[in-house]
Amino acid sequence: MICEHCKQRHANVTVTQIQNGQQMERHYCDVCAAQYHPFQFEMKEEPASLQQLMTNWFNFVPILKKENVAGSTAKTKACPTCGNTYRQFLKQVKFGCGDCYKTFSEQLPQLLEKIQAGTKHVGYVEEKHLKEKINQQISELRTLQQQAITDERFEDAAKLRDDIRALESKVEQGEEHA
Amino acid sequence: MNIEHFLTNANPSWMQYESDSDIVISTRIRLARNIANVRFPISFTEQDAEQIEHQLMNALLAINRENPNRFSYFKVKDMPQLQRQILVEKHLISPNLARRQKIGAFFLTEDESISILVNEEDHIRIQSLAQGMNLQQAYGEAKKVDRYLSKSIAYAYEDRYGYLTSCPTNVGTGLRASVMLHLPVLTMTKQMNALIQMMTRLGMVVRGIYGEGSDNLGNVYQISNQITLGKSEEVILQELEKVVEQIIQKEQLARKNLLLRAPAVLEDRLSRSLGTLKYAKILTSEEAASCLSNVRLGVSLGLLEPISQRKLNECMLIMQPGLIQQYAGATLQSTERDMYRAKLLQEKLNEQTRNNGEKGEDSYDV
Ligand SMILES: [Zn+2]
Ligand SMILES: [Zn+2]
Repeated sequence: MICEHCKQRHANVTVTQIQNGQQMERHYCDVCAAQYHPFQFEMKEEPASLQQLMTNWFNFVPILKKENVAGSTAKTKACPTCGNTYRQFLKQVKFGCGDCYKTFSEQLPQLLEKIQAGTKHVGYVEEKHLKEKINQQISELRTLQQQAITDERFEDAAKLRDDIRALESKVEQGEEHA
Repeated sequence: MNIEHFLTNANPSWMQYESDSDIVISTRIRLARNIANVRFPISFTEQDAEQIEHQLMNALLAINRENPNRFSYFKVKDMPQLQRQILVEKHLISPNLARRQKIGAFFLTEDESISILVNEEDHIRIQSLAQGMNLQQAYGEAKKVDRYLSKSIAYAYEDRYGYLTSCPTNVGTGLRASVMLHLPVLTMTKQMNALIQMMTRLGMVVRGIYGEGSDNLGNVYQISNQITLGKSEEVILQELEKVVEQIIQKEQLARKNLLLRAPAVLEDRLSRSLGTLKYAKILTSEEAASCLSNVRLGVSLGLLEPISQRKLNECMLIMQPGLIQQYAGATLQSTERDMYRAKLLQEKLNEQTRNNGEKGEDSYDV
């Protein structure tokens, strides 16, 4: 028999423990038995109150939600960049590349809901990314502004100009922080 | 800095502060990052790996010029097994990286508080260690390096999923924050199982200190966040901090109760452990861990002569098989290791007793 504790050495000691009024036999090796023997204090700390305490901590919402298994139709689609299929992903539980997130966008939310607190990133936003996004917005607004000028809607154009300025100063601020 | 510096130093400077709690041992932050448009290590080529190492080297060369945090660079494949094992025991690299045959590298700061693992499960993993409970500080340090790298490296990042990682359990913030706790009385009084179950439901993971899947050797547990997506970095750190504070209170209460109910038995047990460490000729790592745990508890309860936490932390570190052999300067069979371990711990603890002797009996009350 193998030691119940270290699961490595041969168990040659049987320890009888009383747990919750029930006698239990445990099999340990010499080394583990020597460590277990000394402490036989059975502190009766009510586990119920402990449980209550822990549950009340942050108005806990269970993460594990029952979810239907994702439909198997899209599962054969392979990632164009790394060649992985969703089936392969499930086997390795690892993505082959960043594009897998796009490739398996259908199945991902269901998976992420099971293992994460949500399906959307709410943490730190990459500065470069933020800048890129703002620059994109700026060029879109510029097109609208041009259109407004051509259409002689000068009030709209003025408003768009202010919006563009606000965004531009955001980009400049970002550069200072970086 | 050559590798010997990191192998022999059992008392890196980040470990040299006395923390205010004897229950919290250390804090660790890890940020998982990948480089945009390069396949993840599970499917990339050796060429990709080389290129990633180069990119990081170039980025960090610049940091070395303008930053006091100087990084040393090592390739895993150049290192013998024992060296790798020691770095794992010191938590400077992961077991995963240590197993690598061809690819994999890491960067270390001189004080060992920051390491950057390259081409492990993700292209980049920034790790920061701190003594005691210091989540904000450790995160701040990791973030500094992260922001620095992001200047010259385009990360795989998306609006919707944040930082893209090889495993969906890291996506989003890529942040894993861990606190190491010494919980001897919660373990002894069999409250840990219930606690672990509860923590799992709160989105926390509990592990033994000596690597994945290891038992709670020495009653030291590592508590980490499980969630990386759908919560901000700040919330993740705050929640972990709250959980840890509650556990500390629980352990403190359990200690008080134990001391009230069975003081003589407790003092006897803890003193015997100190006796074992001081006089045993053969010590397995299990027995050493268990005795050190008892001594740590005894010192903290004032039942044993004062021994600094720094000393105890050092003992916990050096009793591991890799470091034992490093100290012995030779490859040792398991029985030889157990003998050398007994000798080494004895020396460490005797140094301490001598120092206390000089201070005299009064140091007890401090
Ligand atoms: Zn055993
Ligand atoms: Zn892919």
